[in-house]
Amino acid sequence: MKKLIALLPLLFIHTALADINIFACEPEWASLSEELGGDHVTVFSATTGLQDPHYIQARPSLIAKARRADLLVCTGGELEVGWLPLLQQKSGNAAIQTGATGYFMAANFVRLSEVPIVLDRSQGDVHAAGNPHIQTSPVNILNVAEALTIRLQALDGANAALYEQRWQDFSQRWQLAINKWQQQAAPLKGVSVVVQHNSWGYLFDWLGLNKVAVLEVKAGVPPTVDDLNTVLNKLKVTPANIVIHAAYQPSRATDWLVDKTGITKVTLPFTIGGDAESTNLFTLFDDTIQRLLDANK
Amino acid sequence: MKPLKLTLLIAAVLAPASPIFADDLSDLKAEITQMRADYEQRINQLEQRLAVNESSTTELNDTINNAPPSPIANSSTSKNSFNPAISMVLNGSFNQYQNNPEDYALDGFALQGEGELGKQGFSLGESELTLSANIDQALYGQATLAIHEHEGSTEVEIEEAFIESLGLGNGLTARAGRFFAPIGYLNQRHIHTWNFADAPLIYRGLFGNQLSTDGLKLAYVLPTDQLFEIGATVGAGDSYPGGGDHNGIGDWLIYAKTGGDIGIESSWQASMSHWQSNPEDRQYSGGHSHGAEPDTSALFNGDTDISNVSLVYKWAKNGNFRQQNFSLVGEYFLLNDDGDITHGNEFANYDGKQYGGYVEGVYQFNPQWRSGLRYDWVGSDHKASDNELLADAGLDGKYNNPQRSSVMVEYLPSEFSRIRAQVNYDQSYNDDDLQLLLQYTVSLGAHGAHSY
Repeated sequence: MKKLIALLPLLFIHTALADINIFACEPEWASLSEELGGDHVTVFSATTGLQDPHYIQARPSLIAKARRADLLVCTGGELEVGWLPLLQQKSGNAAIQTGATGYFMAANFVRLSEVPIVLDRSQGDVHAAGNPHIQTSPVNILNVAEALTIRLQALDGANAALYEQRWQDFSQRWQLAINKWQQQAAPLKGVSVVVQHNSWGYLFDWLGLNKVAVLEVKAGVPPTVDDLNTVLNKLKVTPANIVIHAAYQPSRATDWLVDKTGITKVTLPFTIGGDAESTNLFTLFDDTIQRLLDANK
Repeated sequence: MKPLKLTLLIAAVLAPASPIFADDLSDLKAEITQMRADYEQRINQLEQRLAVNESSTTELNDTINNAPPSPIANSSTSKNSFNPAISMVLNGSFNQYQNNPEDYALDGFALQGEGELGKQGFSLGESELTLSANIDQALYGQATLAIHEHEGSTEVEIEEAFIESLGLGNGLTARAGRFFAPIGYLNQRHIHTWNFADAPLIYRGLFGNQLSTDGLKLAYVLPTDQLFEIGATVGAGDSYPGGGDHNGIGDWLIYAKTGGDIGIESSWQASMSHWQSNPEDRQYSGGHSHGAEPDTSALFNGDTDISNVSLVYKWAKNGNFRQQNFSLVGEYFLLNDDGDITHGNEFANYDGKQYGGYVEGVYQFNPQWRSGLRYDWVGSDHKASDNELLADAGLDGKYNNPQRSSVMVEYLPSEFSRIRAQVNYDQSYNDDDLQLLLQYTVSLGAHGAHSY
């Protein structure tokens, strides 16, 4: 018994030394958490690059993971509204409740664009807070990374210097990469594109692509034949070079347009794991830009 | 003198050699000039690239500096920002039955409450109003009011009204108020989220659709990689099949739940639950759910327990539920009654068993179309010292093995609306019945999350 009592403090020491358990809602935030946390974090990604993050089941496995998480790293901006609140509620975990230090929503650290002027469901499943697909611009990711570093430091003060160092290292590499991507993508400036789902706003703003039309006129509602014909007529007036769809979506509408107009189709990974090449944040943008450049040839 | 001599000597030595090196030297000079030009060009290029980089870095830094590292208030703040989330579910239906729905009965069960068939022809279904919000840093609150028409008058029913701890910590969650009892799988879900327009026969027979608890609930999620959840409730014990007033704890329930993933595409959940009560004067209304006065009803007093096992399996290509998915749900219930039935001044010892289950499979072909099959069945085994009292209570069964098969097709114009057609082949009472149920269900307002 005495031995057991003597061992008891070890248990706490073990807890104190344990990694920060991170529950990332999407693969991009899982990857960023790993970049910034290194060996001091254990990261779990709730979704893969081939899953639509709007529609995830609050599965038993996710509740079990949320139960043990120290930190949620999610997009926010209502993207996970269909499942994340349930995980918070059912996990019984105080650390990840809304407003807690362990509740980190990336969209809170980025100025969201495309905030709808009219909030009405007749316009589809609109996001009241604005476009939550912030991971399509590396500048947003840098902003989120800085805020996430501060959060990691708040959660694990003992290793604050280490997180600072990792952030400095990441931000240097990331900024160099951004410069490289911007130079590579220079020919894409002003190129007219059609998108299947309106989720590329930040990417287009960053690279100066010109969005001519959206196939899925109402977010979350598959386009009707009328919708598609409207796009077709629009393209006769303002032609586009490329039609873009995300890897996690079926490309039926895109294929229809390709069939009708001969426009070049490009499937972008949208996030890490969206295709075989996109294995981390750096290769995600390498691949995205390469695919756009190839399509624009 | 000496240095001069030396210089001369060197000159003399070098002099004849000089013309020989002359060509090489000019070559060397040219080479050096070439190299210098090369390097200058490269330096220029580097300088240019640096300038480009510097300018884009400043541009970038500007963008970054403009965005503060602190949270950005992306939403407006006004007095009604703190309004609770409001959502309303509306539904309407058109039902056709071959038999007269007034004659509906479920052999071996006394139907209660909403256990009867939906109205023939056009009817407005139950309209549900749900309000929810965080109350403060520690509590969350939710209320669901169900409004429906019954025999010409509008009835408002408090379906749920509970408060719940907000992250009590260590996997604990406490709830108080009125809530759906955590028995089985379907029971905890609002009817509008069910896959079929009507309740499985066993839900209809045991609970009059759903079992509620007025009381307390405690749930604990174990800190394991696979989900293990255990929990218990205590309640007033007055909702059917309970009954009567209890000074203390009128019913209690324990449950255990586990589940996980099989690869990326499949997931499952299994649960067991057990509910117990000692009903006082549980009213039977003679096989029909309405119209009988308390003094003419048969009454049950004794002990009642219900056990349930449930299994859920879900599949989606790549785990992407938005496109195609398949779900399979199965449940089984067993009720034990042990006590007595009285009717007026007649009395009988009674030992009853009611059981049944269902299996349903639903496939979603694409985001807008789903279709499913369901088979459900019930059975009973009642022993009473006086069979006449069983008949008085509506517990007698002449036709064995009530069962039903259903098929449904759903069209979902969006995430917020659904049109459903369902056909039942119902063999639960005297004549087999073919039933057609057409239904719309829509959800207005706040975007509710649906549990697994």
